[in-house]
Amino acid sequence: MAYRFKRQIFGFMDLLRFKKMTAIRREKLASAPATPLPTTYRVNETARILHPGTQPATLTKVTLNTADTKTYTFKLSRPMFFRAGQYVAVRAKVGDSLVARPYAISSSPLTALNQSLVSVTVKKAGFFSNWLFDNAKEGDVMEIGDPSGEFYYESIKDSTNIVAIAGGSGITPFYSMAQALKEGSEDYHLTLIYGCKTEADIIFHKELDALVSDKFKVVYVLSDEKKEGYEHGFMNKELIKRYAPDNATVMLCGSNGMYKFVDGELKELGYNMLAVKHEPNCVGVRDVQDKTYKIKVTIRDKDYTVKANANETILVAMERAGLSVPSKCRAGGCGFCHSKLVKGKFSLAGADKRRLADAKFGYIHPCCSYPDSDMELIVPEG
Amino acid sequence: MNKYDAVVIGAGNGGLVAAIRLLQGGAKTLLVEKHNLPGGFATSFKRGRFEFEASLHELNDFGTKDNAGDVRTLFDSLGVTDKIEWLQIPEAYRVIVKSENLDATMPFGVKEFIDQMEHYVPGSRKSMEKFFALAKEIHAAQAYTNSVNGKADSKVMLEKYSNFVRVGSYSVNEVLQSIGMPQKARDIFNAYWCYLGAHCDDLSFIHYASMVYRYITKGAAMPKSRSHEISLAMVERIRELGGDVWFNTEAVKILTDSKDGGVSGVVLSDGRQIETRHVIANCAPHLVFGKMMDKVPEVEIRATNARKFAGRGWSMFLGLNKSADELGIENHNYFIYDTSDTVKQYKLMEKIATNEGQATVCLNRAYPECSPEGTTIMYFTTLYMSDDWGNVKPQDYFKVKNDVARRMIERFERDTGAKLMGNIEEISVATPMTYARYCGHPQGDIYGYESQYWDGLTPRLQMMAEDHRIRGLRFAGGYAMRLSGYSSAYFSGDISGRQTVGDIKKEG
Repeated sequence: MAYRFKRQIFGFMDLLRFKKMTAIRREKLASAPATPLPTTYRVNETARILHPGTQPATLTKVTLNTADTKTYTFKLSRPMFFRAGQYVAVRAKVGDSLVARPYAISSSPLTALNQSLVSVTVKKAGFFSNWLFDNAKEGDVMEIGDPSGEFYYESIKDSTNIVAIAGGSGITPFYSMAQALKEGSEDYHLTLIYGCKTEADIIFHKELDALVSDKFKVVYVLSDEKKEGYEHGFMNKELIKRYAPDNATVMLCGSNGMYKFVDGELKELGYNMLAVKHEPNCVGVRDVQDKTYKIKVTIRDKDYTVKANANETILVAMERAGLSVPSKCRAGGCGFCHSKLVKGKFSLAGADKRRLADAKFGYIHPCCSYPDSDMELIVPEG
Repeated sequence: MNKYDAVVIGAGNGGLVAAIRLLQGGAKTLLVEKHNLPGGFATSFKRGRFEFEASLHELNDFGTKDNAGDVRTLFDSLGVTDKIEWLQIPEAYRVIVKSENLDATMPFGVKEFIDQMEHYVPGSRKSMEKFFALAKEIHAAQAYTNSVNGKADSKVMLEKYSNFVRVGSYSVNEVLQSIGMPQKARDIFNAYWCYLGAHCDDLSFIHYASMVYRYITKGAAMPKSRSHEISLAMVERIRELGGDVWFNTEAVKILTDSKDGGVSGVVLSDGRQIETRHVIANCAPHLVFGKMMDKVPEVEIRATNARKFAGRGWSMFLGLNKSADELGIENHNYFIYDTSDTVKQYKLMEKIATNEGQATVCLNRAYPECSPEGTTIMYFTTLYMSDDWGNVKPQDYFKVKNDVARRMIERFERDTGAKLMGNIEEISVATPMTYARYCGHPQGDIYGYESQYWDGLTPRLQMMAEDHRIRGLRFAGGYAMRLSGYSSAYFSGDISGRQTVGDIKKEG
C-alpha cells in the first residue's frame, strides 16, 4: 500500500515526502525478517516434474515384445509427467561413443508421475537399437531426457476424435495414449489403425485388446499375412474412411514411406494436411560419395578435432568421437543442438527448421546437417 | 583458462549487455547460461509454418535514427544496432473494457495522442498537455541523473527539475487526479499499467510517466527476426570483443572470500570452479542468496525477504490459418481488461479462476510478412499477481493450462468480435511452470520484484550504491535497479556492467 502522508501535491510537503522515500525503503529492507530464504518454490517443483531435465535412470526391466522388439523400463531419479505421445531421448555410452536417440514413451503418464517409471519400446533397426537389443540389461544406468515433442492431442485445435495410424514399431506413442485414456490422464476418443506385416509382428497385441473401451478402438491391418479377424493390405483411403469418424484429427507414426503413402490417401479424402500430425523420424544417412572431413569442435574452453563422413550428420560425427554434445529430436526441429558455425559448408537434410536469426548469424542444427567441407563449430556442452 | 576478471551468470537481456560492457571496459569476461540459447525470455521458437516471438510485444524507447530513444543510443554504443533489422510498431494500443463500454485505439506521437484523447474524452486536452509537460521534465531529470551516474545534485534538481521532485513520491492515480485528468481519460491512459505489473495506486507516477512518454514520443520497435535476433546479435558482439559464452552451463554456487566476504569464484554444475572477483548475476537475489551462496550476511537475507515477487507469466502463441483481415483482428496491440480500476483488475489477476485480463498482440499488424501469406501470428500474455499456479498439481496441470488458454481465446473473441477458434493451426502455451523451467525464476515470476510504492524506480535508483553490499556482486535483469521489461533489463546490464568495470579498475 502507498504511504499516506498529509496530501499536498506540488507544495512544500511534496519535497519532504520525496526525501523520505529512501528512508522508508531503507527501513523496509532492514526490518524484514531474517528467516532463511526459500530454497525452492511450488511452481518450480512442479516444473521439475514436467521438465525434469536429463537424469540418470536405471534399467529395471527388459521385456521381449516380438522377435525384434523389446520394451525397456527405466526407474527415474525423480518423477516425471508428460503428454501421452511425447518422446524422451535415451543416452548411453556405446564403446567410445556417447550415443542418444529419441524414442516415443510407451508407458503411461501416471506411471511416470506416481512410480517414476518410463518405458520405451524399440525395434532392432539401427546402430543404437541393435546395441540396446543385444546388450541392455537390468541394472544398467543410462540417461533419460525431458519429455518432448508436440505429438499429442491438443484440445484447443484438435478434434476430440483422434485417428491414429501406426506402422510397425510406430505403435509406441499410441499405446501410451491408450493407457492414458484408461487411467484418465488424457480425455478424447482414439481410433487406432495399426499396420503390421504379420500377426506375430503386432506389438502390445494383448495389451491393446485389453484397453478397448468406448474411448478406444483398434483395427489391425496385416500386409503380408491373411488371417481371420484382421483387415488386410495397405492402410489406404477405403480403410481409413471405413474406420475414421467424421472431422477427426489424424496422427501418424511410422516410417517415412508410410507417411508418403498415407498422406496421399488422406489428401484424396480431403483432409487438411496441415492439421495431420507426423511423429518426426530421425535424420539418417545421405547418399553421397564417401569422403572424410575434419571438424574442429569447441566446447566451452576445449577444442577437439573430429573426423566426419560426408554421408553422416555432423551430430553423428561428434558422437562417434565420444564428445558430449546436446541432441534431442534428431530431426532438425527442436533446436536443442543449436551450434555456431564458425567456418565451413554444410547441407541440410530436408526443410530448414531453424529460426530466421539462426540462419542470419550462422547457427546450425548439427542433427540435420551434413558436412560439405572441413568445418569449425562452437557447440554447447551436451 | 579458469580465471576471469568477471563472470556474468545468465545470458538474459541484462546479462548480455553487462557482458558487452565488461568487455568494452577491458575485462576478461565469461558469460555462462544454463539454457542452450541466449536471451532468457528474449528468444523465439518454431511450430510448423510459424516462428513465434517468445516475449517481446514492442521495444520501448528505441525510436528511429533521427529520433533515437535511449535504447537505440545504448545499442549504438554496444555496437549491435546495425546487426539487427528493425521495424516500427504502427500504433500505441487499443484498450477494451467491454463492461464499461470502453474501446479506444491510441496512436503514437504527442499531438496525435492528445487529439485522439480529446476525441474520446472531450475536455481532456488541458490535463493531457499538463501530463506531457510534466513527463518531459521527468524525462529530462532522468537524463540528468543518468549523466551524473545517479549522483544528482539536489540543488540542480530543485532548480531545474522541481516538478520531478514534487511528484516523485506520488502514485499514478494521485498525480493524474491532481492534474485534473477526467476519469475516462485516465481509464484510457492507464492501459499500459500491466506492462509494469503494479496497480496505479501503488505504481510510482514517475516510473509510469517516463514509460508512457518514451512510448508516445519515440514509438516502439521490433526486430524482424524476433527478439532472438537481438540476443544472437549480442552474443556475436561478445565473441567479437573476445568474450567467452558457454551455453548449457549452469552456475550453481558463488564462492566468497573468507576475509572480506566478497566474491572469489563461481562453481558450475559439473563441479568446475572458475576463479573471479566479480560476478554480475542476471537472476533473482532470492536465488543467489537463497541457494547459491553459503555465507549470506543477515542484512541481505532481510532485504531479500522484504521484496515482493511481481507478476508470474502466462503466454499463449497462436498460428492461425487465415489472414488478420479474415479473422477480424484489426490492431497490433490490445489491452483487454475487466475493469479500468487497476486495483480491482490487479485483484482479479491474483487467481487462475478470475484472470482473463490480457495484453494481446497480432504481429502481422506490425509486420505483415512475419508469417506465410494468408496466416496470422498472435500472442497473448497475462500476469498472475499471486502464487496461484503453485496450487496446481502436476496431474491437473495440462488441463488447467488448456482451460485458461480456451478462456483467453474466448475472451478475446467476445471483446473484439474476432473469430479465432476453428482457425488455429498451431498453439503453444507457456505458464509460470514454463518460465520457472526456462529461466529458473521463483514461482515463474517474469517481472522481477514488484514496483510497490516503497520499492519503486526512484528509491531503487537512489539507493543503488547502498544496495551494493557484497564486494564483487552486482545484479542485472528484471530484479535489479531498473525493474523489469526489455529496456529496463538492458539498462540494468549497462549500469552493472559499467559499475563492475569501475570496481575492477579500482582494484588495479
